[in-house]
Amino acid sequence: MDESTLSSLYSDMWLIRAFEQGLESEFEKGNVPGMLHTGLGQEATQAALAANLEATDAYFPDHRCHGINALAQQRHRGDGRRIMAELFGRSTGVCSGKGGSLHSADPRAGNYGDNAIEGSYMATVLGVALAAKMRGEPKVACAIIGDGTVGRGEFHESLNMSAIWELPTLYACVNNGYAIFTPVGKGHASANIIDLARGYGFPCEQVDGNDIEAAHAAVLRACDHIRGGKGPYFLEFMTWRWQGLFTGEFRPPDEVRYWREEHDAILMAGARLKEMGWTDDDLEKVEGEARDIIESWIEFAKESPPPDPAKATADVYAGFEVSPS
Amino acid sequence: MNTETKTRKSTMVKAINQALDLGMEAFPEMFLIGEDIGEMGGDFGVTRKLWAKYGNERVRDTPLSEAAIIGTCVGAAMVGMRPVAEIMFADFLGECYDQIVNNAAKMHYMFDGQFKASLVIRTACGGGFGGGPHHSQSVEGWFLNVPGLVIVAPSNPADAKGLLLASIESDDPVLFLEHKALYRSKGEVPEGYYTTPLGTAAVARAGTDVTVVATMRMVPFALEAAEMLAGKGVSVEVVDLRTIRPYDADTVIESVRRTGRAVVANEAPGIGGLGSELSARISQDCFHQLAGPVVRVDGADTPIPFSDELEHLVLPGTDHIVSAIRRAMTQPDRGA
Repeated sequence: MDESTLSSLYSDMWLIRAFEQGLESEFEKGNVPGMLHTGLGQEATQAALAANLEATDAYFPDHRCHGINALAQQRHRGDGRRIMAELFGRSTGVCSGKGGSLHSADPRAGNYGDNAIEGSYMATVLGVALAAKMRGEPKVACAIIGDGTVGRGEFHESLNMSAIWELPTLYACVNNGYAIFTPVGKGHASANIIDLARGYGFPCEQVDGNDIEAAHAAVLRACDHIRGGKGPYFLEFMTWRWQGLFTGEFRPPDEVRYWREEHDAILMAGARLKEMGWTDDDLEKVEGEARDIIESWIEFAKESPPPDPAKATADVYAGFEVSPS
Repeated sequence: MNTETKTRKSTMVKAINQALDLGMEAFPEMFLIGEDIGEMGGDFGVTRKLWAKYGNERVRDTPLSEAAIIGTCVGAAMVGMRPVAEIMFADFLGECYDQIVNNAAKMHYMFDGQFKASLVIRTACGGGFGGGPHHSQSVEGWFLNVPGLVIVAPSNPADAKGLLLASIESDDPVLFLEHKALYRSKGEVPEGYYTTPLGTAAVARAGTDVTVVATMRMVPFALEAAEMLAGKGVSVEVVDLRTIRPYDADTVIESVRRTGRAVVANEAPGIGGLGSELSARISQDCFHQLAGPVVRVDGADTPIPFSDELEHLVLPGTDHIVSAIRRAMTQPDRGA
């Protein structure tokens, strides 16, 4: 990978990490309502996807995808702050605060909305892909799912129908090792999700989800395949989430140390940049810029007004009015 | 509806088929999707000949994957298509309940109006056919509590055609219930394209003594009961709800306030269903005009058994509605 691409992805990864850490800190202070699931540790996978998906594509993010949403919003709509504001439940959020962390969408950024029913959009993505195929649009319709989602029936219905209809579907399975508390090998017939996907007969790849160069190259290959009209593609990103349980860390110390200190996406990308001649100061400058941006986004979210009360009953139906009780 | 329009006698199956055909002609973004709806024409023949006319792309057969069928509709609607799904039996809606309740019905609201779930889910419901516990249910109660969803339930061929075209035009997700026992029923159906507005009830028969609010198969039963009682000096008004959600409370309330007595008839079990909702609403809004309590006609609180001898014991019919009206008529006239 050339230096400028790697440098850009390195900035993106830092933006994600700063976003999630800033959010986590505000959540702990009680400033962010609801629940919080962060994408910390999964920055390379997210940056690789965000870099390859265009505004005219459609992706369905999962609950740890704040980072992809922020990058897409920033890149395609010029204002990543609106993702932060949505998570704070503010009027300036992409859904005016009606969706929050688990339901933020902006189709003009390619973001077709998170869904808190894990894997529900494995079915929905089919419709976006089918419409693109019927209209002859070169769209990539991407579902970003976790390993836990593989237990849902829609996972299998979706892969099957994408295969028989040769749909432009990209399945990005982020295997972070655990569905909440259950290890992937205990919840599924194989700890390698790719084993379960291969039977549907379209190309499947397992990649190191913390190696930004490998992840980026894999997404690019998949998107080229799909845009070339060759049907669906399945990617399994092997990664690890920093967030434990709300009750604390439950995973073995060696495992935690490996992923956070030896195989961290940002540390590995930084080492690659240093091989290309970057200094520690160069790396720190990127981190500092990301933290400054996120600080300003959090300020924006906090200063934004709450949603208009009329929003509570607005848009229940497109064709009927609903009155407040 | 223009009274000058030519009509033709037609079954409900044919009327629905015509609506689908006219919709496909009018809307290039419309497509049909479901199990064996293509070359085979659907389990009840509702989509017959449409595959030959519109082809594989727009009349799309699927595997037995109800969740994926409705998910496909939701996703396609999100990018501006107008899909119409057939779920072979309403009993199978459990397989795609999440897609309907959590995606289709909430999409417009939770994403702040950025998407429209402009889709129709047609499905065959109701008993009386020896279908047994998994091919006979009246499922409207499963969906009544879902804001954002439209539920349409025609009782005759002309309404079925007009309501289906209105559902196709609608930008909201519509669950379109087709009672199997009405599929072969016949009625005069206007030719050509027309819509019957969603959310409006029809007064199927005007009367002055008692109002019967009914849906689907209960409407012809109520009309039969009204005819029988007309000879005995009871004037029965029959209100056909047509849209179950959001329903036309104005027409119901106006009628009951005028007649002072109400019977509510539906085929589903009584607890937590349409009958509960209508009784509560009528009691709340017509209390001072009512001569007595709302009288309810519901299906028994049981699954639907297979054997004909058992099935007819749990499904309401004309006799039940006649008895209910007689009970309502024992209430003293309040001279409203």
